[in-house]
Amino acid sequence: MDIAVPARRPSAADWDRLAAKARQRRRASMGLLYIALALGSLPILVPYLWLFTVAFSGRTGASTVVLWRTLAVLMPGLVAWSIIRLSVEDAGLRRMLEIGLAVVVLVALGITTAPYLHLDNWRFLWITDIADRLRGGSSGTGAKYPSVWTAFGNSLLIACTQMLLVVTTATAAGYYLSRFDFSGRAGYLKSLLVLHAFPAHTLIIPIFLLTYWVGLLDTLTGVILVIVALELPFAIFVMKGFFDAVPWDIEMSGMTDGASRRQAFFLLILPQVKIGMLAIAVFSFLRGWEEYVFVRTLLIQKSNWTMSLYLFWMIDDVMGTDYAMVSAMGVFYVLPSVILYAFCQKYLAQMTIGGIKG
Amino acid sequence: MRPRRSLSSGARQWVDRILFLGPATLLLVLFFLLPVIVDICIAFTDMGRDLRVTGFTTEHVERIAGGDRRLPQIILITLTYVLGTLSIFNVSYGLLLALLTTALPDRVGGFFRAVWFVPRASPSVVYALLWSWVVAPTNYGLLNQVLAMFGLPGLDLKSDAPMVVVILANGFIGASFGMIIFTGAIRSIPQHLFHAARVDGAGALAITWHVTLPAIRWQISFVTIYQALSLLVSFEYIWLITNGGPFYDTTVYALYVYRRAFDNGQYAYGAALALGLVIVGIAVALTLWRFFDMKTLLQKPRIEVH
Repeated sequence: MDIAVPARRPSAADWDRLAAKARQRRRASMGLLYIALALGSLPILVPYLWLFTVAFSGRTGASTVVLWRTLAVLMPGLVAWSIIRLSVEDAGLRRMLEIGLAVVVLVALGITTAPYLHLDNWRFLWITDIADRLRGGSSGTGAKYPSVWTAFGNSLLIACTQMLLVVTTATAAGYYLSRFDFSGRAGYLKSLLVLHAFPAHTLIIPIFLLTYWVGLLDTLTGVILVIVALELPFAIFVMKGFFDAVPWDIEMSGMTDGASRRQAFFLLILPQVKIGMLAIAVFSFLRGWEEYVFVRTLLIQKSNWTMSLYLFWMIDDVMGTDYAMVSAMGVFYVLPSVILYAFCQKYLAQMTIGGIKG
Repeated sequence: MRPRRSLSSGARQWVDRILFLGPATLLLVLFFLLPVIVDICIAFTDMGRDLRVTGFTTEHVERIAGGDRRLPQIILITLTYVLGTLSIFNVSYGLLLALLTTALPDRVGGFFRAVWFVPRASPSVVYALLWSWVVAPTNYGLLNQVLAMFGLPGLDLKSDAPMVVVILANGFIGASFGMIIFTGAIRSIPQHLFHAARVDGAGALAITWHVTLPAIRWQISFVTIYQALSLLVSFEYIWLITNGGPFYDTTVYALYVYRRAFDNGQYAYGAALALGLVIVGIAVALTLWRFFDMKTLLQKPRIEVH
């Protein structure tokens, strides 16, 4: 790289001009970046938006009118917002403009989409035998479809129970591995690391056979135990990391004051790793809520269906191309996940494993 | 607070070990170690649809070695799928997203990262449902509606180019893993390196090439190896979106294993096929050791009292 040596010292006016030019160039490149990322994100945003709009407006089939109208309002709104962000430098004024823009966008959305909105697609929530009715009631096999609330309850039960199990066992194991020395500790940690990277889906056939042999096939207990075990290596490492970060002084001063190791653990150390426990709790809840492969393989009876199986069979067996109600079910299933992710993002972001080399 | 003195130190040590480490160890042995052993055993039996073992045989291993005429095609499909998704999305696109979003102000960058995290955060059934609606060959399909807007003829991607659908669907999810790891890595590069490069007259591209990329090369190889393994063994989205079809066109190895066992009832052959994945899995997991900072991981505890 050759360096241009200026022939004369630039004056103050030159500096100002240069600074303005640089600012402008930066703004232009930022604008380009915004546009590139926004366009690149459309393939993800549009389908989810579609699901959402159809759930609240679809009649039969997949009407996209509301989707296009929503986009027609949102896209200019987004452009206006990025212009505001890039060009207005006064923070107070920017906040005012942003609030004004939000109001305008909401009103415009209301005007353009209100005539289409209705809650008919959500009738599966109160008509609990809707699947049987849609199938004509006489499918012959006599096996009734469960209501959405049965599936919802099963999913919730699986997610909550395995969350509790993961948090308690991983916390205990993480603490022991972090704070106690025992022969074989290094080997234990190393094999745990292998298990963490090892893909559990490859073991689905033997796991299926094992649950069948001990009579846990087609029970929620079996599924819960399997999912707990598969999440443990990761959860243990996360917890070990959090325990490692707690200063030894806390424990030492506690023990100097006469606490036993167990007392030190419950009274002094646990309160220090609350964030870690919360993080793995949220993470394992979501894993349980969203699980599909093991649930599909290990649960057979209709009354054991979870939300994922319910939605799958509704699409496959019952609704066919009734996009409208399937969308509503999809939104019903997705919402808890999205809300949890949105609110717990900052805890989830703290989960790291013992540090990848930098 | 009075420490309990009813047990000797050695006994208490054992009780502690069982209380703290026991439950986790038991679960890990039951659902990781035991399945591996069971898989090896079953692979050499004649277990069929009735889940009964009547004799031992090596025919399954022989079948893998040469008898299964479908297998070469399956392996080719798997390689296309893994290498295609990995190179386009999990590494390159993830890296691009990380580079672009870290160049933006934190809040805006965070917003775009959150958008790309949505596919990973939403349940697989819903995500697969969206894909099959987007590429639906009818007029309802979102893709076809967009094409029609520009006056283009409709497509039937699911039967004409199923591998494209599979790679895109898995790639949109895969990109977020790399994105998150790379973002963390880029953030931890000392700022003065960027300042120094700027002062020396480097542009954005030169900084990326000479400063950022060398600084995150560990993370790039970690993501490459880790995600290659994940892609190799994952079949969830393919199963849901194309179910391996049309014919066997998108049946990757892991899905083939599953379908042989659970659809055709050939549990023993499935177990033998799965053995290949188990071996690869263990091998890759062992190579991943290199990427972890063993010194901090294995740091000795400082209190010896039990």
